[in-house]
Amino acid sequence: MKTANKVYTWLVFIFLYMPIAVLIFYSFNASNSTSAFSGFSLYWYKELFSDSATLTALKNTLILAILSSVIATVIGTLAAAGIYKMKNKYVKSGIMAVTNIPMMNPEIVTGISMMLLFVFVGGLVHSSSTLGFGTLLIAHITFNLPYVILSVLPKFKQMDKHLPEAALDLGCTPAQSFLKVELPNVMSGIVSGFIMAFTLSLDDFVISYFTIGSGFETLPIRIYSMTKKRVTPDMYALSALIFVTILILLILSNMTSDKERTRMSQKAKKRAKIAVSSVFGVIGVVTLIVLIASSGTKTLTLNVYNWGEYISDGSDDSLDVNAAFEEYYAQKYYEETGERVKVRVNYTTYASNEDLYAKLKSGANSYDVIVPSDYMIERFIKEGLIQPINLENVPNYQYIKDDFKHPFYDTGADGNTYSVMYTYGIVGIIYNTEKVDEEDIGGWDLLWNEKYKGQILQFNNPRDAFGTAMYSLGIDVNNATEEEWRMALDELRKQKPIVQSYVMDEVYNKMESGEAWIAAYYAGDCLSMIENNEALDFYYPQDEEGNYITNIFADAMCIPTSCANKELAEEYINFMLSEEPAIANAEYIYYASPNTLVTENAEYQDYLEDDYDVIYGTIPEEDLPELFDKYAFRNLPQDKLELENRLWEELKVDASSFDPSVYIVCAVMVAAVVGFGIFKYVQKRKRRKLYWNNNAKSPATA
Amino acid sequence: MHRLAAAPHIVWSVLFIIAPLMFVIYYTFTDANGKFTFSNIASLAQASYFEIFMRSICFALIATAVCLVIAYPIAYFISKAKPKTQKILMMLVMLPMWTNFLIRTYSWMALLEDTGIINTFLGKIGLGPIHMINTAGAVILGMVYNYLPYMILPIYSVMSKIDVKLIEAAYDLGSNPFQVLTGVIFPLSLSGVISGVTMVFVPSISTFYISQKLGGGNFDLIGDTIERQFQTAYNYNLGAAISFVLMILIMISMGIMNKYSDGETEVVV
Repeated sequence: MKTANKVYTWLVFIFLYMPIAVLIFYSFNASNSTSAFSGFSLYWYKELFSDSATLTALKNTLILAILSSVIATVIGTLAAAGIYKMKNKYVKSGIMAVTNIPMMNPEIVTGISMMLLFVFVGGLVHSSSTLGFGTLLIAHITFNLPYVILSVLPKFKQMDKHLPEAALDLGCTPAQSFLKVELPNVMSGIVSGFIMAFTLSLDDFVISYFTIGSGFETLPIRIYSMTKKRVTPDMYALSALIFVTILILLILSNMTSDKERTRMSQKAKKRAKIAVSSVFGVIGVVTLIVLIASSGTKTLTLNVYNWGEYISDGSDDSLDVNAAFEEYYAQKYYEETGERVKVRVNYTTYASNEDLYAKLKSGANSYDVIVPSDYMIERFIKEGLIQPINLENVPNYQYIKDDFKHPFYDTGADGNTYSVMYTYGIVGIIYNTEKVDEEDIGGWDLLWNEKYKGQILQFNNPRDAFGTAMYSLGIDVNNATEEEWRMALDELRKQKPIVQSYVMDEVYNKMESGEAWIAAYYAGDCLSMIENNEALDFYYPQDEEGNYITNIFADAMCIPTSCANKELAEEYINFMLSEEPAIANAEYIYYASPNTLVTENAEYQDYLEDDYDVIYGTIPEEDLPELFDKYAFRNLPQDKLELENRLWEELKVDASSFDPSVYIVCAVMVAAVVGFGIFKYVQKRKRRKLYWNNNAKSPATA
Repeated sequence: MHRLAAAPHIVWSVLFIIAPLMFVIYYTFTDANGKFTFSNIASLAQASYFEIFMRSICFALIATAVCLVIAYPIAYFISKAKPKTQKILMMLVMLPMWTNFLIRTYSWMALLEDTGIINTFLGKIGLGPIHMINTAGAVILGMVYNYLPYMILPIYSVMSKIDVKLIEAAYDLGSNPFQVLTGVIFPLSLSGVISGVTMVFVPSISTFYISQKLGGGNFDLIGDTIERQFQTAYNYNLGAAISFVLMILIMISMGIMNKYSDGETEVVV
């Protein structure tokens, strides 16, 4: 029995620590794979300390956790004191009920309820950047408060009621009695409440996810956006470091408290506790001061919101374009004004045009530069969400090829230019040559091929996903009738049982590791994946006559109406078009560039080798305008947009591939619990009967 | 002076707890133009949404049950260990929670994939690959993994306070170990079980990250549906309506649970 217990305990702990062991193990991996270990290396630890975005996120998380837990501790302790003193039972329980709400409610409900409040209030005062550090701080304080109150209140109840009375009798003022008598008595509760609040705030993802704005990123949010594509092992390294730090801290605190207990008297222990908590407080304040002081110089901030994996970011010895811009503009600003400034590019990413739309339309997020696709740009212009760009501030615009200067989505009809093209490309199908037979490729039907059940990835956004179905059915993607939309939905429904999952940038990891075999995705990303896994190949779907029948798209840089610093945004766009960054981007992301500085650069052509033909040669340049006309997505009329959303929702909630055994297990379980309840109830009644019978009998026998 | 100390908290609660919930109700019963409507709630009556609710409840119930089955013995063993060992073991139970849950779940992906760590290992010892990721089981495993400490903690803290004399008395009165467990220890630890069940059930039923990563987006849960309305579909009204129903659902189940636990303590007395 004893050994069985031990084995069981061990098994549970192995279960708890397995994923952590995995991430610590792979943080020492020489390559960035999470399935193949290619040798021990400290590379990712070194990389971590040069990853400024992650370090900034770490700093932000700490600032937020300290501020919110300190404020929550102050408000919460006062509240506990007040609630303790309340006489009216109903008021008291009413307040406690409200206090408990954030603890009882699912986090997602707390998150969206606060988001709705902030968005609504932001709409009332016409603020375009409601969401940000402030809202995040409010949200964190709100969910921290109940934990502080619930750990302090019991300490007040445990305290001897006569102590404060005695203090008052001995001539203390109420304030003195509170500070000198009550506070030390409840200090342990305050400390544990503070630590709990700090921990919760440090790790919170769900509530932050809904209340965070554009200019601020915490560590959990950064990890989230990373897990959408691939987590670089430097994040593993950071997690490993945090894990080891906490482990050491816990061991230390465990050791000291054991020694203390044996040596110290009650009073000394209390004093030690106060000392510990004041040390905590001092550390917190000092960190804050340092952090605030370090951000003392004037900072120009630019919020850039772009697709994932869509910029040269400094990995693999590429140019870190955002850092280069920061440096370039700080220098330029100094030369022009004689003033030193810090330039900071807040670079965050989205996974689809629809995500971008939801963020921008809410009116609570302020971005300075965004990179939507063609059809979305059309919609943004129509709804007044982006503003004309002053081309005088973007002299490099001259290098954009003439064909791309006024594309169909931004014709310049009103004399304005709303967008500057970043890249263009074609949707292709990427597949694993080791798994997929050569005879099956060529058309869209590969995505519906039953032979590859469970190995197919589909787009996780409505426009592209419905696009694949419509192209394969030969429906006009821009003028489909309601009936045709439904046909496309049926086609996707038919596909759902053989689809492994609906993905956006997760496609990288899944295709490169061989986890999935077939996916439709954007050409540039396909080439990037092939770069990392030789077994992959891709093609543009064709119809029987050999004509390409697929989506061709353009992504362009735009400035939202809510932009806070338009000149800086234009400066950034101009910088992105200049030779060095433009080439770095084009080489990194493998998309076709509309920029002549790039396409005519011999070094760039050499770098791409055969890929140059794949990117630019497949479709002759003179055919492009015609193809754009034929195959690009256009903004849909309002009724079709609503239809599209509705049908997408229908597809997503549909669970054709769902295994009913879960329901059966669940039903059996519920039946067992109910049965147990009835059994207990019957037992109880029997016992009561027995009790009454005995009691009724006993006087008689006596 | 003292009673007023609660004032900042009361003001805060009204502004940031009650007001936001009012907005959830407001958005639930209005359309995109702010006009009063029942259509958001009505649209949830569709079979597919009903299925999402059923599926989420089922997943959460199973995850809770599995957590309970794993956690109960472990909590019992820990409470029986030496005080110092108890402290260390509880520390070890809590420690994983200091690593961000997103990254731990992501790490599970690497373990469970068809080409992942477990299957590579199985392949090496000659066992065929087992398909684990993107199944209902993987989603439930993710829930169990993430919320298991929430079940162990309250059960342990109640168990460690059980008076040993009661157990000894039961043995003295002729109970066998099984009777002691069901007749003495279990009823006394029930308050811990109840709070553990709530602490696992509520986050399980509303999760959206675990199902997306470990279920491949094939099992839409309530949380996924809410998240999509806010972050992608831009349909705040429908999102609020789903949240509203979820909130009511949880209130009802908590009510049932409290009632059930009251009944049980009566049995004990």
